[in-house]
Amino acid sequence: MSDLSGRTVDTLSESAAPAMLRAVGLAKIYPAVASSGVNAISPGEVVLFRNLDLSIATGEMVAIVGESGTGKSSLLHLLAALDRPSAGDVWLGDTNLSRLSPRQAAEFRNRDVGYVWQFHYLLPEFTALENVAMPLLARGLRRSEALQQASLWLDEVGLAPRADHRSGELSGGEQQRVSLARALVARPKLLLADEPTGDLDGNTAEAIFSLIQTLHRQHRLTSVLVTHNLEFALRCDRVLRLRNGLLEAVAAR
Amino acid sequence: MRFELFIAARYLRAKRRQAVVGAVTAISVVGVAAGVASLIIALAITNGMRRDLQQKLVGSSAHVMLMRVAGDGISDWRPLLARLRSLPHVAAAAPVLYEEVLISRNAHSGGALIQGIVPADENTVSDILPNVRQGSASGLEPVASPMLSTPPIVIGQDLAQTLGAEVGDTVLVTSPQGELTPLGLVPKYQRYQVAGIFNSGFYQYDSSYAFIRLADAQRLFSEPDLVSAINFKVDDMFRADAIGREIEHAAGPGYESTNWMEQNRELFRALRLEQAVTVIVLALIVCVAALNILIALTMMVMEKTRDIAVMMGFGVRIDQVRRIFLLQGLLISLIGTALGLVLGYGLSWLGGHYRFIHLDASVYSIDYLPFAPRLIDALYVSAVSLGVSLLATLYPSGSAAKILPAEALRYE
Repeated sequence: MSDLSGRTVDTLSESAAPAMLRAVGLAKIYPAVASSGVNAISPGEVVLFRNLDLSIATGEMVAIVGESGTGKSSLLHLLAALDRPSAGDVWLGDTNLSRLSPRQAAEFRNRDVGYVWQFHYLLPEFTALENVAMPLLARGLRRSEALQQASLWLDEVGLAPRADHRSGELSGGEQQRVSLARALVARPKLLLADEPTGDLDGNTAEAIFSLIQTLHRQHRLTSVLVTHNLEFALRCDRVLRLRNGLLEAVAAR
Repeated sequence: MRFELFIAARYLRAKRRQAVVGAVTAISVVGVAAGVASLIIALAITNGMRRDLQQKLVGSSAHVMLMRVAGDGISDWRPLLARLRSLPHVAAAAPVLYEEVLISRNAHSGGALIQGIVPADENTVSDILPNVRQGSASGLEPVASPMLSTPPIVIGQDLAQTLGAEVGDTVLVTSPQGELTPLGLVPKYQRYQVAGIFNSGFYQYDSSYAFIRLADAQRLFSEPDLVSAINFKVDDMFRADAIGREIEHAAGPGYESTNWMEQNRELFRALRLEQAVTVIVLALIVCVAALNILIALTMMVMEKTRDIAVMMGFGVRIDQVRRIFLLQGLLISLIGTALGLVLGYGLSWLGGHYRFIHLDASVYSIDYLPFAPRLIDALYVSAVSLGVSLLATLYPSGSAAKILPAEALRYE
């Protein structure tokens, strides 16, 4: 295992704080697809990673880097209980995410994790404010209360004046800010971001990354970011690289 | 449920990324509305027809008929009639002596059910005689010396046509209950003068009913002061069955009753069957509309796959996803049903009020299409419409609930 210049380090948490998020012996394998026909191409089993261990301490901000197709997004999906691992377990505190029922997993995603995608994925039929309020509405909160809380978050990401605009009327950076507010409106412990700046130009990307850093600090989040931007990665507490199915720690700050 | 309804309603209102989804949704609403409106109108017409038929039928005949089980006639009928008239629920009662006869005029003849009546009583249980169009029924009033002239007869319009008889003509009534003479059984016959021709609107009555004075009938059938039955009008015609049993009970042993529903059971059964077939055929329109809902929702789920995955990402449960699309189908159906009800009742009201659809009176006995919309039909039709639509939402909502967020977003 090596750092960006080839130096080998441990992938487990270097922080003295207790591990909040742990992955033990994690594997994600896509089985061979059975196909028929003369020209059918039958891809064999695809192993993204196997026996992957990861430990992230409370309050840590960890960047995961790696080439496209190495399984970074899949790893993030497993950490968010959006997908089930082929083997191994993911623990958030004392909760084994791999053992959650679909209903429990949904409740976990609603309360304990905020997720930001590369493409904002806002719901186009709804205003910025309604998009931010969605996780609270889904939880069954009264509309007025949900919108009130959402408007505070929209204010926090600097988009209060755009509350009534639909996603199509917002710029890429604004959309990602709304997406961030939506991820954090339920006050989760964990923020997972999958290339949150990947679709933005330099200045906007910088602004969004700075915002994530600020929110991470202010709300004492534990954050895991997948990014291709090494500069941003190096501004995190720790950088891990996923390569050939292995997670390597890279020396960071 | 609030959240699901919020999403479903917005999805329905929002401009679609794919215009065709919006178009299919609109077609679904129109389809449901058309189906519901057709059902309401068809039910209004069949109800109107039945109501009309029922009114005519009940107007022309008694509600309850009391007769002897042995068929030997009621001999001591006057005190019985007086006693039964005072029973609760009995509005009116009239004696009748009837017999099947042959009526002929020159070379024309026809079978008829001749009824000997007392007009003052008969008019309280039947509307036939007051509706005599040609001539008059007043000749049937009892007279002091009935033997002096040719006794009067009132016959139905179709029977008059068969016989080629008009008011004032003489017809020959032949009773098969003949007299035994040394020459054998000789049929009894009597000449009558046509005093009036009635038109009840019912072919069965107009082609075979004939009325004469009770005394004349008793003389014709050699039945001294005997009646075959006592006819009753009751205060609630739909309870004719129960009231009939009370009358039977009051009359004592040896009596039995029948009622208008029993006598016309086959007719009403046929009407009900006709209504059922109409409803089934028209309900197919609702089924086609439900197929549109299925297509609209399936396309919607395909269009929204990514959004559904994102929703699952922020914690929307599978059952909530399913309900979003169930509600969306139900909303389409509700809007369509509501529009259909307004359209159906509106057109039925207009049809009933302005009578703009004309019928051939000689065929249908009325010259306009009757509409009788009932509010209870709205309940049945809405239940069918919403039920069928709900079935149509099961597949798309189920497929929405099967979306795996990680898979859906991986291929984006």
